[in-house]
Amino acid sequence: MYHFFPTQKEEALASITSEELIDDLKRMLLIRHFETRSEAAYQAGKIGGFFHSYIGQEAIQVAAVRAFGVNNWYTTSYRCHALALLLGATPNELMAELYGKATGNAKGRGGSMHFYTPELLGGFGIVGGQVPIATGAAFTCKYLGQKEKVSLCFMGEGAVAQGAFHESLNLAALWDLPCLYVIENNQWGMGTAVNRAISVQAIAEKKAPGFNLKGYTLDGMDYFHCLQAFKAIKAEIINEGRPVLVEAITERFKGHSISDPALYRSKESLTACMQRDPLQILKSTLLEKGLLTEEQFVALDKEIKERVLVAMKYADESPWPDPVTLEEDVFAP
Amino acid sequence: MKQIVEMREALRQALDEEMTRDERVFILGEEVAEYNGAYKVTKGLLDKWGPRRVIDTPIAELGFAGLAIGAAMTGLRPVVEFMSWNFSFVGADQIISNAAKMHYMSGGRFSVPVVFRGPNGAAAQVSSQHSHCVEALYGNLPGLLVVAPSNPYDAKGLLKAAIRSNNPVLFLESELSYGDKAEIPTDEYLVPIGKAKVVREGRHLTIVSHSRMVLVCLKAAEELAKEGILVEVIDLRTIRPLDIATVAYSIAKTHRALLVEEGHFFAGIAAEVGFEINEHCFDQLDAPLRRVCQRETPMPYSRVLEAETLPNVGRIVHAAKKLIKEG
Repeated sequence: MYHFFPTQKEEALASITSEELIDDLKRMLLIRHFETRSEAAYQAGKIGGFFHSYIGQEAIQVAAVRAFGVNNWYTTSYRCHALALLLGATPNELMAELYGKATGNAKGRGGSMHFYTPELLGGFGIVGGQVPIATGAAFTCKYLGQKEKVSLCFMGEGAVAQGAFHESLNLAALWDLPCLYVIENNQWGMGTAVNRAISVQAIAEKKAPGFNLKGYTLDGMDYFHCLQAFKAIKAEIINEGRPVLVEAITERFKGHSISDPALYRSKESLTACMQRDPLQILKSTLLEKGLLTEEQFVALDKEIKERVLVAMKYADESPWPDPVTLEEDVFAP
Repeated sequence: MKQIVEMREALRQALDEEMTRDERVFILGEEVAEYNGAYKVTKGLLDKWGPRRVIDTPIAELGFAGLAIGAAMTGLRPVVEFMSWNFSFVGADQIISNAAKMHYMSGGRFSVPVVFRGPNGAAAQVSSQHSHCVEALYGNLPGLLVVAPSNPYDAKGLLKAAIRSNNPVLFLESELSYGDKAEIPTDEYLVPIGKAKVVREGRHLTIVSHSRMVLVCLKAAEELAKEGILVEVIDLRTIRPLDIATVAYSIAKTHRALLVEEGHFFAGIAAEVGFEINEHCFDQLDAPLRRVCQRETPMPYSRVLEAETLPNVGRIVHAAKKLIKEG
């Protein structure tokens, strides 16, 4: 069904320094620990509202941010914790936001679905709502003649059914906007399997030609594959000044949100997808290549887990928002 | 120096002046460029500014409304034309979930300096899907500024202020007013957002209205004057933020208020203004508040029915006389 973007693992390895590889392993670990510990904090009643974990999908955004660099525009869905971490938001400010504290990433006003950095336009809570926004950011790049800058838009496969997806891709293709649309197909829109929601598969390969665009399929569990593909796609977008549609095949290891026990998915199918854990794929390659030892990994893992525990302590000890600030910032000055 | 201009020309001058002042300002919408605007508000702007800054969109309100919000979040200052505000409903998710909420939701990290403008409410027999007044719907959303001028002077000054605002502004015009003429300065001027204006002084009764209905209220005031009823007419000019102070000062003088709105009764702007009057100056009232609004039906096509459902001079005069007799 899929024609995966042609990549060579050795080429991907050659294109990145060992420091960068270790750094990306650390980022994956940070995402994993951040999600795991905040789920625990949620269960302990420290965090409220909705909570959508990125565990299982880490290779995609880690590789994309490595390939494109921070200095672009980024948007994503409510499953936004990883991207904010990758773009430089600190675990402290993000955990404090989850705890609803004054020191939070959005002063305790956004919560789990609405994280920001100077380059991250959000965390968007309406499925597909970020797609026109990302298209507008790409418009700005073109309007201002910023030829090296791209707008990256991440969405789940559920967003493909929304009108916003179609209107945005038509506009971006029509106006030659430098936008990368990445459909992270994690197989489930809440409890609805992708083949019950989207009329075609492979989504990007089939949809892109209808917009006169290139569409590529990526193995979203394999960091090296994603890295090399995103590097090639970045060059294509910048050189041709055209948008690109990507479908990254992945699967979330958790329910849609924290309140979802994922009863619609069999244990066997979950176990099967967890065999291709992106973190393990990256780690085992680094071990094979002699870039990492098991002892070093254990030490890194411990260091990062402790970093997240520090963030939880910070969030816990941070002050609540002062009620007198409730009505501030409804309008910009 | 003065000039006599139509409403559409006043709006066009505002756009042109702000595009001259700020290179980040651009226009997009259906038929704004090559067609010169469905109502000719953007006439000549493509010729002057070129297709980079005056942009025809496909018929995709959700897409281009959201694109404009994204452009505004990343440093530009878009002015979006909706051919009718009724078409904004297709793009409402972007206006409501993103434009209105972004600055607050992001803890002040991102602002959305975008203007959405176009004709609102009834035109001439365009039936239910092209005639709805949107101010009560969008007025319910903290984070949006809602502006509704009644005349060319205010329209120009308010549109320039809207384009300079760092917040999303919904700018409501009226198709029936695009040809209205008025004398305005040739020199640059601004009209501040959030300030109502007393457009006729009186002492027996205050009528509060906005947009095209202000003109109908002024006609009704003339009729009433013939019978010795001196009406003070307030043009809200901005729906949100609402300048209740100007209303309250007037009621302190007249002690009676009639609220006139082109949109519907239920949960309308008149309902909001009325409640704020209760909160701020109940003690000043000598009679219960009254309102004249659009009746509770979708807009009918027939000329006869359309005239019946909209507020008109007869209905306003009738309500005013009842109010004077009360209390």
